[in-house]
Amino acid sequence: MLKKMLLTASVALALTASPMQAAELRYAGTTPALTMDPHATNDFVTTAIFRQVYDSVVGLTLDMELAPALATEWEYLGDNTWRFKLREGVAFHDGTPMTAEDVVFSIMREKDSRFYTALFGGISEAKAVDDLTVDVISTAPDPILPRKMTRMFVMSKAWAEANDSLEIPDLGAEGAEAHSVRNANGTGPMKLISHDPSVETVFERNESYWDEWPGNVDKATYLPIGSAPTRVAALLSGEVDLIVDLPLQDIERVSSTAGFKMEQAPQFLLMQLEMDGTRDVALDTWNKDGTPIESNPFKDVRVRLAIAHAVDAELIVDRVMRGNGRIVGIASVPGFGGYQADLDERWPTDVERAKELLAEAGYGDGFTTQLNCPLERYVNTDDICRAAASMLAQIGIEVRVNGMVWPEFARMLVNGPTSSFHLIGNGSNSFDSQDTFTSTMMTRDADKKEGFFNWALYSNEIVDKVARELPVTFDQEERTKLYREGLAAARDTVSAVYLHQPMITWGMKDGITAPIRSDATLTLQNVVVPE
Amino acid sequence: MIAFLARRLVHGALVLLVVSLLAFALSAFVGDPVASILGLNATPEDRVVLRERLNLDDPWASRYLSFVGKAVQGEFGMSYSAQRPVIDLVLERVPATLELAGVALAFSLLIGLPIGVYAAVFRHNWSSGAVMMLSVIGVSLPSFVVGILLIFLFSVRLGWLPSFGRGEVVDIGWWTTGLLTVSGLTSLIMPAAALAVGQVALIARLVRAEMLEVLRTDYIRFARARGLKPRVINLSHALRNTLIPVITVSGIQLGFLVAFAIVVEAVFQWPGLGLLFLQALGSTDVPVISAFLLLAACFFLVINTIVDLLYLVADPRLRVRGGLSSEGAL
Repeated sequence: MLKKMLLTASVALALTASPMQAAELRYAGTTPALTMDPHATNDFVTTAIFRQVYDSVVGLTLDMELAPALATEWEYLGDNTWRFKLREGVAFHDGTPMTAEDVVFSIMREKDSRFYTALFGGISEAKAVDDLTVDVISTAPDPILPRKMTRMFVMSKAWAEANDSLEIPDLGAEGAEAHSVRNANGTGPMKLISHDPSVETVFERNESYWDEWPGNVDKATYLPIGSAPTRVAALLSGEVDLIVDLPLQDIERVSSTAGFKMEQAPQFLLMQLEMDGTRDVALDTWNKDGTPIESNPFKDVRVRLAIAHAVDAELIVDRVMRGNGRIVGIASVPGFGGYQADLDERWPTDVERAKELLAEAGYGDGFTTQLNCPLERYVNTDDICRAAASMLAQIGIEVRVNGMVWPEFARMLVNGPTSSFHLIGNGSNSFDSQDTFTSTMMTRDADKKEGFFNWALYSNEIVDKVARELPVTFDQEERTKLYREGLAAARDTVSAVYLHQPMITWGMKDGITAPIRSDATLTLQNVVVPE
Repeated sequence: MIAFLARRLVHGALVLLVVSLLAFALSAFVGDPVASILGLNATPEDRVVLRERLNLDDPWASRYLSFVGKAVQGEFGMSYSAQRPVIDLVLERVPATLELAGVALAFSLLIGLPIGVYAAVFRHNWSSGAVMMLSVIGVSLPSFVVGILLIFLFSVRLGWLPSFGRGEVVDIGWWTTGLLTVSGLTSLIMPAAALAVGQVALIARLVRAEMLEVLRTDYIRFARARGLKPRVINLSHALRNTLIPVITVSGIQLGFLVAFAIVVEAVFQWPGLGLLFLQALGSTDVPVISAFLLLAACFFLVINTIVDLLYLVADPRLRVRGGLSSEGAL
C-alpha cells in the first residue's frame, strides 16, 4: 500500500512539478561543484561535473582504461618528449575548431595550477608542431604521462582571451570573480547552460559531439543537496532521478522500495592504517604500565605483520561498512596502472599468529598507543578506528582512538608529520601505482619531493629502488616486473595495513541505466533514461 | 533621545570590535589559511610563497587593521572554495534567508496569536489545556526533526510539496524572490513551517500570559459591566493591549529566526546564509566564516537598536528618563 502510494505520488509529482522533457536527467549529490574552471580545483566531485563540459587530452573508458579522446594517438619520441596527435574536426561549444594551439594553451595553464603540481609539475614545455600535433616536453622522463593526460582538460584559448581568463583565478588576491568560474567553453559531451553553485548546474547535450552517444540524455541538471535524509527523500519523491551519494544507512531502504534501485562500484580510494617506519621512539606510545616507551615497535616488521594479522578487514567491511567495500590486499586497486590481480591477497586474519609475531619481536606484553583518526572526509572512519582498536586489544596492543576533524588532521600531517599511527585514505593523482610508489611509499624527503605523502615515514630499500626506476622505465615488461617486485615487497613489509576500498553507491529510479566509473564520474553521454 | 542613540552606537561599536577581533583571530590563527587553501598537496615552497602573498608574516596588529579596513568597505576577500568574492556570495544569499525568516515569522504570528487568545479566553476549558500542552511539544521539538518529518510526510508519502531548494525565483533588481512563483511558494511552505513551529508555541504562550494579565484589569471588568459583547472586549480591548510586547518580542525573534535558519536551511537545502555558513565550516573557508560572523553581529545590533527605539516610542516614561539601560543589548 505504502509503495503504491509512493509510486502514484512520484508519478503525480513528476507530471505536475516538472514538465517532463523527453530525456532529462536530474541528479543530486552532496556538495556543489565549486567552480567550472577545470584548472582551478582538483576536488573530485567538481571534476566529475566539469568533465561533462571539458574533455581531457586522453580519455577514460568506463573501466578506467586509457582511450583516445582529443588525442587519438601518442608516442614517446625520446628525450623526455611525448607527441600527441589530435583528433580532426573537434569543435568547442561556441563552434570554433579545436587546434593544437588550444591544447598547448591548456597544458601550460593547467601545469601552473597549484592543484596539479603533483601531476604536471614536471612539464617544462608544450609545443604545437602543426595544427593537430602537440609535443610535450618534461624535465625528466615520464612514462605515465599519457595516463596523467586523462586529467588534462582543454579549454578554448580564444574564449579565455576574450573573457580575461588566461590566468587561473587567484585565490589569495582581492578582486572580482573570474569569468571561467561560472562559464565554460570546452569540447565535452554537454554544454554548460548555467552554473549557480548553491542551487543547480544545468547542461544541454552537445549535438556535435565527436564521440558516439550510447545514451539518450538531452538535458541534465545537477543539484547539490547536503542533508542525506533530504537527498534520499528527493529521490523517493521523484524530484530527482538519481543521487550519486546514497548514504550507507539508506541503501536498504532505497533498494527495497519498488521503482528504485541501487548501483555500486569500488571507489579509487584505499583505506589503510599507516605505521611509523622510521623514528627510533614512536610518538604517543607507552609501555603497558604507562611509562613512555623507549623504542618504536612499529619499526619492527614483525609488529607490523602482527597488526596486519590482527585487524580483520573483512569484519570491518561486513559490520562497519555494511558490506559496502572491497577488501584490499596490495597497495594498488583494480583500474590503477600497474595493478597485479594475482598478488592481491590480503594477510590472513590470525590472532594466534599475531600474538606469536608480537612475542618474537619482544612485545609479548603488548603496548599502548594512539591511533589518529580523521573524523570526516571518508566514510565511517570513527567506527573503523574503533573496530581496529578492539581487534588490536585482542593481541595486547591497547589503542586509544584520537578522533580529529579533517583540518586538524591535515595540519598534523602537513606541518609535521607528527603521527606514528593513523588511518588515512590513499588515492592516486594519476591513477597509476607509480604514484603510490613515488609519493606515498618512497622514503620521505620533502625537499626532493620524494615520498611526499608518506606521512608515516615508511621506508624500504626495494620499494625505494622501484620508486626510482619506474619513472624512467618505458618498457612495459620491465615496468610490470618492477610493479610486481615493489608491490610484493610493500605487502611483505606491511607498508601499511590495507583495509578496503569504499563503494561508490548511487540510488536511481528503475529503468535508468547509468554506468558508474571508479573516479565517481557520471558520464552523461552513457546515461539512458526512460522516454 | 540623542544621548540614548549615542550610547547605543558606542555599545554597538564595542560589540563589533569584539566580534571583528574574534573573526580576525579565526582567520589568522585558528584556520591556518595556508593549509586551508593549499591542502595536502602543497610543497614547502608553495606554502612560503602563499604566506608572503597573504602577508601572514606581518605583525598581527597591522594585519588586523587591514582586515577591518577592508571589512568596512565590504571586502572580505575571496572564498577559498567558491573562488568568488565573499561579499557577492553573501549578498546573493541574503534574500533567501530573509524571506524564509519573514514568512516563518508571519506563520508564527498568524497561528500563535489566535491560539494564545483562545487559550486565554477559554482558560478553564480542557481544549485550551490541550493546546498549551501541544505548544510545549512544539517548543521542545528540534526544527531539524520537524523538517525531516515534514519532508517524509508531504514529499515522500503524499508528494505534495518539494523536499528541497527554493523553486523558481524571480529577480527584482539584486533581490531574488520566490514569493511570486508557484514552485517558489510551495518550496517555502515546509521550511518556513519547520522554522515557525517553535515560534508559534512561544508566541501563543506569550499572548496567553499577557491576555490573562489584561483580562484581570479594571477596564475590562467595566467593559463587561457595560454589557459589551465578549468578542469586542477580547479582540479590541484586551488583545490590542497585549500586542506591544508581542511586537517587540517578534522583532527580537526575527534575529533568532535568521540564526536558527542554519539548521532548517541545511535540512531543506535552502540556498541562504545558513547553508553558506555550514558549507564554509565544512571546508574551513575562513573568509566566508569571518564575514558571516561580522554580518550576523551587525544584524543583531540593528534589530536590537530598532527594538529599543520602539520601546522608546511605546513607553513615554523612558523618554522622560532620557535614556535606556542597555538591557536587550547583545
